[in-house]
Amino acid sequence: MYQSDSEGWASSKDLRSHLGHLESELRFLSTLTGISIRNYSMKTEDLTNTEKKEKSIMKVLQRHRLSGNCRMITFQLEFQILEIQNKESLSSVITDLNIIMEPTEYSELSEFVSRAEERRDLLMFFRSLHFFVEWCEYRKRTFEHFKERSGPARRGVTSLQPVVCRDWEAETKRLHSRDWSQDQCTKEKYPAAVHLPEGAASSCMAVRSTCQPGFELVIVWRVQIDEEGKVLPKLDLLPKAPQQALKLDRNRVLETAPLSFRALLGTLGIEAALESLIKSLCTADYD
Amino acid sequence: MEWANDGKTRGGVLAHLERLEIQVNRSRKNLEDLQRAQAVESALGTKIHKLRCLRDELRAEAKQRQARVKASTVNVEPDQTPEISEQEVAKRRKENVKAILQAYRFTGLSGKLTSRGVCVCISTAFEGNLLDSYFIDLVIQKPLRIHHHSIPVFIPLEELSAKYLQTNIQHFLFCLCEYLNAYAGRKYQADRLQSDFAAFLAGPLRRNSLCNLLSFTYKVEPRGQSFPFCARLLYKDLTTALPTDVTVTYQGTDALSSSWEEQRASHENLFFSKPLHQVFTSFARKGEKLDMSLVS
Repeated sequence: MYQSDSEGWASSKDLRSHLGHLESELRFLSTLTGISIRNYSMKTEDLTNTEKKEKSIMKVLQRHRLSGNCRMITFQLEFQILEIQNKESLSSVITDLNIIMEPTEYSELSEFVSRAEERRDLLMFFRSLHFFVEWCEYRKRTFEHFKERSGPARRGVTSLQPVVCRDWEAETKRLHSRDWSQDQCTKEKYPAAVHLPEGAASSCMAVRSTCQPGFELVIVWRVQIDEEGKVLPKLDLLPKAPQQALKLDRNRVLETAPLSFRALLGTLGIEAALESLIKSLCTADYD
Repeated sequence: MEWANDGKTRGGVLAHLERLEIQVNRSRKNLEDLQRAQAVESALGTKIHKLRCLRDELRAEAKQRQARVKASTVNVEPDQTPEISEQEVAKRRKENVKAILQAYRFTGLSGKLTSRGVCVCISTAFEGNLLDSYFIDLVIQKPLRIHHHSIPVFIPLEELSAKYLQTNIQHFLFCLCEYLNAYAGRKYQADRLQSDFAAFLAGPLRRNSLCNLLSFTYKVEPRGQSFPFCARLLYKDLTTALPTDVTVTYQGTDALSSSWEEQRASHENLFFSKPLHQVFTSFARKGEKLDMSLVS
């Protein structure tokens, strides 16, 4: 039903343009934060009783429902906030928090979610969720990058400059200024087969040498959230080799490989360490 | 029966007997090992079964909760009948969008578009207590710059903006959020200690503005006369609200007995692992327990 009087049209237009403005603000905020809230509702319940009114203390219980997503993870939250207003101050305390997340394949998240619920720390939940998703995306891009650049043996592979990186902060900075399109290697491939056993969002990458099929290196990259909500990557190397090779390994290179990998990570950073690992599988093909 | 007298044969029979004995012992031991292994296996089997049942229970509960939340999160749009005017629909949608914009403060980051760019509001909280918010007004130009802000001077804003503002604004904002929330948490703990547990402290709590270096002298019993412990807490990691270095020293006039030393060491552990005011809450509770035991 359209309003037929001019006044009606004007207010309807205003309303629509105002709505348009608000919706673009919402889209902007969603892009800025990486968190998209799709639904939200709130109910309030006044808990002030006459006794409190005399002391001019007001108590209100708010029940909030929020749902949305952060990239590939969707969340649904229900929480309660108790607001107490007395003469001097207003205090707001989250008194209950329930979180449901999908997908549940990120097993690292379920423990974190229960901790956030226990502590009723809503803000920490979103903060850590953001950093967790960021690290997962970096892991996915890195693994995909190596998968794309590996394949049948070809001579004359030039190497990326290994970047010396001494701490996770610097690593994170590189993570964000990384422009994958600028890779100077034009489709030159490593003579190794890279396989992501769990699919695109795999937490591990298996590298098999095409010239020595018995050897395999599995790199496990977990994204962990600690007690305080800090998100940290944890990488481990699981080497696999045929029995004969183990017997010949007098310098115990394979045994000490996991530890050496950790040290390598600390010096070269994640990408360069993975790259040097993949290359090390086929040193015979070079020179 | 004639027993052979030469050592060889006797050795033979005895040796044979010995071998038989060893065999019996070995097979007995194997049987015991096997039985033990079977017992462990069945215990583990029972455990697995119990855990599976628990897992199924929890899965069912989670599904139920999910269904409940889904059912109630479906936004209240009572009837989609054409009687409701487009205007009404637009109005409701507007209210909904406005509410969602407000709700962003629960994520830690919210904001409003400005003529220059955006004014971002960073909210802080500690353990469910909603605390101060800070704002940062950004001008959206090349390069991005900060117009003005209410970030306290001891938060490393310049450092963070130099590292991330131009390349990844989202990361910049969340890092800032981390620092501010950690600061708010440390400040909250120090404030609560000063206000709620003043009776346990000798003199004021010494603190810096960043609230990452605290030092105080305290006692454990509310009725005690002396303040036997001196604590120094350093929070080197500015993104956390728990200390990285804790030193508790014994100041009392009694000789340092093992019980004092035990207390001192356990206090150090407490300060590392629990928020400051919660440590003192546990001291107070212990004191109450003692009191009750005296009365009865």
